[in-house]
Amino acid sequence: MTRRTKIISALGAGMVLVAGAVAGVAYAQAGGLVSAAMSDGSIGEQADGYLGFRTTPSSALRAEVDAINIKRREAYTRLAAQRGVTVKDVAATVGCETLTGRVAQGRAYLLPDGVWRVKAAAPIALPGYCAT
Amino acid sequence: MMHAMLTIRRNGANPMPMTKTLLPLAALLGVTTGGCVQVQAPDKPIEINLNVNIKQEVVLSLKKDAADLITTNPELFPQ
Repeated sequence: MTRRTKIISALGAGMVLVAGAVAGVAYAQAGGLVSAAMSDGSIGEQADGYLGFRTTPSSALRAEVDAINIKRREAYTRLAAQRGVTVKDVAATVGCETLTGRVAQGRAYLLPDGVWRVKAAAPIALPGYCAT
Repeated sequence: MMHAMLTIRRNGANPMPMTKTLLPLAALLGVTTGGCVQVQAPDKPIEINLNVNIKQEVVLSLKKDAADLITTNPELFPQ
């Protein structure tokens, strides 16, 4: 290894460290990003069992919400395999549950009609397939 | 002559049975071709209805699992 390559590799290692630190900070902030976006209604729960964007998100918010949705789908897929149903069935059931009890007043939610609404005091009018 | 008479009579009598047999035939044709075309149209709503019915049962059977999934993965369900 020449001196030059040593410097280059040292620089590379340093950049990796910095990138890792930045990613770590971004990850730590991401939870706050999602919570803030839920509070101001720019994202919300969808009847299909996933989080969705009511308004065009920043790339950081989109990345975080996408990551959550990927993990959700993973969990749905596992449960679907256990119960012998489709992932969509599980996801829709979770959607029924989140719309029933996990959307606070003032938060946005999306029904299958594709219309974003803001939760009022009254319970959400659930899709017909939601078991009551 | 007898033959001629018969054919004339037949010709005279033919229009009645002809229309009688042709009408149902035409109707049958219409029904079968109409049925063929219609099969595709009602097929979809029927399928959707079945899906919704099955779904309701499936959703009911999965309700507890779904609730558990949410409580055991709180990081996936921020509030």
